[in-house]
Amino acid sequence: MLIIKDLHASIDDKKILNGINLSIKPGELHAIMGRNGSGKSTLANIIAGREDYEIESGSILFNGKDLLDQSPEDRALDGIFMSFQYPVVIPGVNNTYFLKAALNSKLKHQGLKEINAVDFMSLIREKLKQVDMNEKYLSRAVNDGFSGGEKKRNEILQMLTLEPTLSILDETDSGLDIDALKIVAKGVNNFRSKERSFLAITHYQRLLDYMKPDFIHVLIDGEIVKSGNSELAKELEEKGYSWLEK
Amino acid sequence: MTHYQEQLTSLLENSIEENEDIRSLRLNAFDSFKKIGFPTQKDEDWRFTNFSKIQNGYFRLSRPSDLPNNFKSPNLLNDQSYPIVIINGHYQPQLSKIPNGLSIFSGSNDFKSNPHSYAIDSNKPCSSKMKNPFYLLNTSLMNSGLSFEISENIKIEKPIEIFFYTSEIDEPIMNHPRFHFRLRKNSKATIIEHYRGQTKQSYFINTVSNFELEENAHLSHFRFQDESFHSNHTSFSGYTLNKYSNLNCNCLSIGSDLYRHNIKVDFKGPNGFARVNGLSLIDNNRHHDLNVIVNHLDNSCTSSQLFKFILSDSSTGVFNGKVIVDKDTFQTNANQTNRNLLLSPSSNMNSNPQLEIHAEDVKCSHGSTTGQIDPEALFYLRSRGISKQRAIELIVEGFAKEIFTNIKNDNFQSKINHKIGQWLESVSNHDKS
Repeated sequence: MLIIKDLHASIDDKKILNGINLSIKPGELHAIMGRNGSGKSTLANIIAGREDYEIESGSILFNGKDLLDQSPEDRALDGIFMSFQYPVVIPGVNNTYFLKAALNSKLKHQGLKEINAVDFMSLIREKLKQVDMNEKYLSRAVNDGFSGGEKKRNEILQMLTLEPTLSILDETDSGLDIDALKIVAKGVNNFRSKERSFLAITHYQRLLDYMKPDFIHVLIDGEIVKSGNSELAKELEEKGYSWLEK
Repeated sequence: MTHYQEQLTSLLENSIEENEDIRSLRLNAFDSFKKIGFPTQKDEDWRFTNFSKIQNGYFRLSRPSDLPNNFKSPNLLNDQSYPIVIINGHYQPQLSKIPNGLSIFSGSNDFKSNPHSYAIDSNKPCSSKMKNPFYLLNTSLMNSGLSFEISENIKIEKPIEIFFYTSEIDEPIMNHPRFHFRLRKNSKATIIEHYRGQTKQSYFINTVSNFELEENAHLSHFRFQDESFHSNHTSFSGYTLNKYSNLNCNCLSIGSDLYRHNIKVDFKGPNGFARVNGLSLIDNNRHHDLNVIVNHLDNSCTSSQLFKFILSDSSTGVFNGKVIVDKDTFQTNANQTNRNLLLSPSSNMNSNPQLEIHAEDVKCSHGSTTGQIDPEALFYLRSRGISKQRAIELIVEGFAKEIFTNIKNDNFQSKINHKIGQWLESVSNHDKS
C-alpha cells in the first residue's frame, strides 16, 4: 500500500530525514517511536503533503502511484488521512459544514452522489457515538473552543467519516487523559480492517497498550534504527532510546 | 470649493420658501466648511485618504427630473420589512410602508420641532461636527432624507428598511441625505439603512444619520453600503445613548470607489450598552476608511467593537478607532478589536486602535491584527480532501461571517451571507482572469 524508499528531507537547510525505508501493507498497523525532534512528525507531514519540506531524494509510492507529486487534497481523496498533532482552529467555519464539504468532496471524487443534509446528520450522529462526542461540537467552528481531548476526538471523528485507507495518527495520544485515550483507541480499533492501514506516531508506549501494532520502528536522527514487533515497545519502555544511539 | 459654493447658491435660489433659520444654518455651515476645507494629509483623522475625486468632481445636486420613469424597488428584505424608498434622493411614499408607532417627518418640519438636532456648535471649533468637513457640507447642502420617531413603549417587530437607491442617472449627481432617528422611552426597533447604486455614472453621496436613544430604548441598526463602484460615499453615523439604552449596530460595506464612514457613539446616561461591528469587503483599487469614536461620558456603560476588513487586489483600507473614557466616570467596560485579512500582496491596510482613558475604574482592551490566510488552516482543510480554492473560500467566508452572528433574524442573516458569498465569488474570479 505505502512504500517509502530512501527518503531524505530537510527544512530550512536543516536535514531531518536521513534515508527512511518503510513498507506498509493493507491491514497493518505500524508504530513509529522516537524522541522529540527525531523526525517522526516530519515523516507524517510529508506523507500528508505539507509543503514546507524540501524532499532531497527518495520516493513514496501509495498504491503504486508517486505520492510526492500530488497536492494534499489529491492525497486525501486517494485515501490518506492524517490526524493532526495540533488540530487547527478555523474561526467561523462550522464543523458540520466542514465535515460535509470534506465528505462530499470525497464522494464526488469516487463518482458517487453527494450526501444530503438529512442522511449526513444520521451518519454523523452514529460516528459521534463511536468517539463519545457531544452533538454540540458540530455546531461550533472547527476546533474552536475545543479542549485538547476534544480536538483529538474531532480528528478521529473525521477519520471515521472520511474512511481513509491509510490513517496517520500523529501523536494522537499527546494531551489525552487515560479515559480519552481509551475512547480514541477504541475508535481506531473498531475502524481497523483487512483493507485499512495505520501509521501511529508516538513517543510513549502507552498508546500501544490500547492499539496493538504489527510493527514498531524506532526513529533516531531521521533514520529507522530498529524495527520489531510489540516486544520492542516493552524493551524501549525499560531501556529508553539511548542503547540504540550510535 | 467654488463648485460646492455654486451648488449652495442654486439650492438657496430654488427653495426661497424655505425657513429662514434653515437658510442661515446652511450658510453658517458652509462658512465653517470653507474655513477647514476638504481634508488633507495633514489632518490626523483623515490623512490616509485622498478626497480629491470629491473635491475636484463636478457633482450637481439631484433634481426631481433625475427620477427614473419606471422603478421597481430591489430592496433587501422584500415583504419582510417596512420599506422606506428614496430614489436618486427623492422620497417615494407610494413605494413605502409605515408601521404603527412610527412617524415620519420631512427635514423642514423636523427642523422646526428639533432645531437643536441640527446645530453645528459653530462657537465650539473643536467639536467633532466642526472638525468634520463632510458633516458641515451635509448641513449646508442637505437636500434629501427624513426624520423618524418611534413612540414611547412601541416595539416594531419587522425591520424598517430605508432604501436609498441611485440609478439611471445621466450626469454626475450628488445627494446630502440627512436622517434623524428618535427612539422614545422603552421603544424597540430594527432599522436598516441600505445604500445601493446601479449606474455606470459617477456620483457622490454624503450622509448624516443621527440616532437618539432615550431611556431603555433598544435599537438594532444595520448599515449596508452597497453603492456602485463608480460612487464616492462619505457618511456620519452618530448615536446618543441615554440611560439603559441598548445599541446593536452592524455595518457591511461592499461598494463605492471611495468610502469614508465616521461612527460616533456617545453614552450620555449610565448603564448603556453598545455593540458596533463592521465588515468592509474591498477589491480592485478601491479605498475604505473607517473612523470610530466611542465616548464613555457616563458610568457603568459597556461598549464592544469588532471591525474587519478583507482586502483583495490593490485595495486599501483604513481603520481608526478610539475609545474615550471621560474623567470622573466609573465602571466602564470597553473593548475594541480590528482584524484584517489581506488576500493579495498588493493590498494595504492601516490600522490605528486607540484608548484614551481619563478615569481609573475601567476595564478596557483593544487589539488589531492584519495578516494573510493562515497556511496551517489551509493545509488542514486541504488534507481533508477540500480543494485549495474551496478551502480559501471557506476560510475567508468564515472570517467574514463570524461578524454578523449577533443578528438574530435568520432571513436577514442569510441575505447578508448571500451578499458576502457573492463578493467572495467575484473576487476569486479576479484571480482566475
